[in-house]
Amino acid sequence: MDRRTFLSVNAAAAAVPLAGAAGIGLADAAVRPAPIDFGSNLPAPGNFPARWICGSSSCMDNTDPPVQVHWYNPHTAILRQNKAYSYEAPFAPLYFGNDRVLLLDEGFVQLRNDWDLRSVVDGCIDDWCRRNGRDPAGMELLVAFSHLHADHYAATNQFADRPNTRYMGLTHEEMVGFWGMTNYPEERVTLDLGGRDILIWGSPGHVISEFAYYDTYTQILFTGDMFYRGRCYISFWEPWFDSMKRLIAFCDTHPVSHVMGCHVEISRDGQDYAYGMTWQPDEAPVEMTVRQLREAYAYAQTITKPGIYFTGTVFLCNQTRGTTTIDRNPYRYG
Amino acid sequence: MAQASTYSPALSGNPQSATGRAYPNGNPALGYNPPGIRNTDSALPLHRRTPVVHDYAGDGPAPGNLAFRWTYGSNVAARNRDPRVQVVQYNEDSFVLRQNVCVHWEAPFTYLLFGNKGALLIDSGATADARHYPLRETVDAILARWGQARGRRKVPLTIALTSGEDVAQNQGLAQFAGRPDTTIVPKPLEVMKRFYRLDRSWPSGTGTIDLGDRVIEVIPTPGTHRDGVSFYDPYCDFLFTGDLLFPGKINIGNDRDFVASLERLKTFAARRPVKWILGGHVEMMFVPGKYYPRFATYKPYERPLEMEAGLIDEALDHARAVQGKDMMLIRPDFVLFNGVSPDQKTPVWPAGVPDINPPRPF
Repeated sequence: MDRRTFLSVNAAAAAVPLAGAAGIGLADAAVRPAPIDFGSNLPAPGNFPARWICGSSSCMDNTDPPVQVHWYNPHTAILRQNKAYSYEAPFAPLYFGNDRVLLLDEGFVQLRNDWDLRSVVDGCIDDWCRRNGRDPAGMELLVAFSHLHADHYAATNQFADRPNTRYMGLTHEEMVGFWGMTNYPEERVTLDLGGRDILIWGSPGHVISEFAYYDTYTQILFTGDMFYRGRCYISFWEPWFDSMKRLIAFCDTHPVSHVMGCHVEISRDGQDYAYGMTWQPDEAPVEMTVRQLREAYAYAQTITKPGIYFTGTVFLCNQTRGTTTIDRNPYRYG
Repeated sequence: MAQASTYSPALSGNPQSATGRAYPNGNPALGYNPPGIRNTDSALPLHRRTPVVHDYAGDGPAPGNLAFRWTYGSNVAARNRDPRVQVVQYNEDSFVLRQNVCVHWEAPFTYLLFGNKGALLIDSGATADARHYPLRETVDAILARWGQARGRRKVPLTIALTSGEDVAQNQGLAQFAGRPDTTIVPKPLEVMKRFYRLDRSWPSGTGTIDLGDRVIEVIPTPGTHRDGVSFYDPYCDFLFTGDLLFPGKINIGNDRDFVASLERLKTFAARRPVKWILGGHVEMMFVPGKYYPRFATYKPYERPLEMEAGLIDEALDHARAVQGKDMMLIRPDFVLFNGVSPDQKTPVWPAGVPDINPPRPF
């Protein structure tokens, strides 16, 4: 795709004409089944797995699928990279609407012959279209990511030759422009997937270029790496704290079923899984409650210095990346 | 057509003759059975009536080399298909085994030494499951093959650890449970001391493991582990130091013991020849002072395993520098961590060491 057309016709703006009747071809409309109703009986019920696939003691003996696909409900899939393919093992939601599909995050392996995310996503879309009587070719795929770190966009290039696909660019300007924002991070835009609205606003702090995504159908608040079940590396405290305030304010005015981050780096009993581990046998669930978010916010209000703080749910690593970690040498003796 | 009196490879038109041998296809005038045949090794040994007795005494270190590159994992660990145990033969009676880094990120080295009366396995790897890390199967195969070549039906095996408590080196022991003709040096510190007859003198003095004309010396070297020992092989002139001294991130368990152990090693190396120091892991990169993070499963730019004896002095100097301080210290060939997290980082770069960024694979 030509970069210029990609920027000038951004996805959020394009949602308006396509949703209107003029955008749908006549032949298409004849065979197309009735649109799925994403607007009533909210939040749409769904469930997370009791346990995610979480690596193995020997990486080369891992026989799990490279990408775990979990259908949260019939219109929402959550993908997770296998830990034996990358220790970052990010989670990636795939939201389906009547007109388009939104993929958030693309894992930490670049090449398709190493880790074939593209085929997995294509498979999910085919699967969904078969179940709902759609033509996969007619569904637009939006390939976006939570923030500008390689473990969230590495596989973006696998979608470069995919028809009917738009993907986010790898600069701050392209990312903000992709969602048609002019007042980042305060501005909240609405992406219409075809009856299913995704609310998007800026959430800097872990990095400058980060978004929060709220799905009005499942009411899952996807907070990226800015707030997740593990070590939240806070690079910039003030922007991060302001982003927390925005999240809390959002939760005050909108129903939120789950708060979900991109990684899990902590066990069920609060033990830290050190950076780089490829096996997390007892990992905590990825989903968090609004209450846990509020607790973390309350805790964050007491933080005045750089350091590592445990809120009971997550570690807040305030400006500590690159200098220290939680781990100790187990073999120390007196 | 008349033949030229001397054969010229350049004129032959035969691409095989680029070696410059005068007779690239053999000289029929020399006959089929020249006397030199008798001076070469045979793959079909004569049927010996008695086992071969090897002479392990000799001037200088026994010849050998570590000529192969270590396997180094892969970008996507799940797709790695390298051997689970990489076996490199240093010489006829000394083997170096390495665990595949995609089976366990510690990728420990394990050493197998043979003498006239038996074999010694130093350390046992980081994975207990034989399906993932078939150490016993590999050792058994090497022992069987070595026994055949030497005319021995039984090769008693001793297994000793550079540290009993180190989970990156003691996990493979489970595979040898119940193995016949096997002595496993007991793990608890007190029992281990008694086994080496060091219970009175620990941590000074040395114990021995006699492999038959190849007597391995055991030197107490606590410091990274409470029960750390080093082994000295007088045949190859190797010092096996395990976690105490290796080209990687050395996590000091007790700095007083660490300094004392390096002093003991220094004294030891002064009176015995040391060709190489072989540690239990490699974590440094081939550029000075740079190292792989913990849990890395792809290490294409590793430093070689072997270290020169002079490194003991350097380690000792810098161990004294970090003694009593909670800090990490980067040196070209190793990094010391004293009282800090194994993931600690530092902005301090050693003076006079070039700061080179190695290529970063993605």
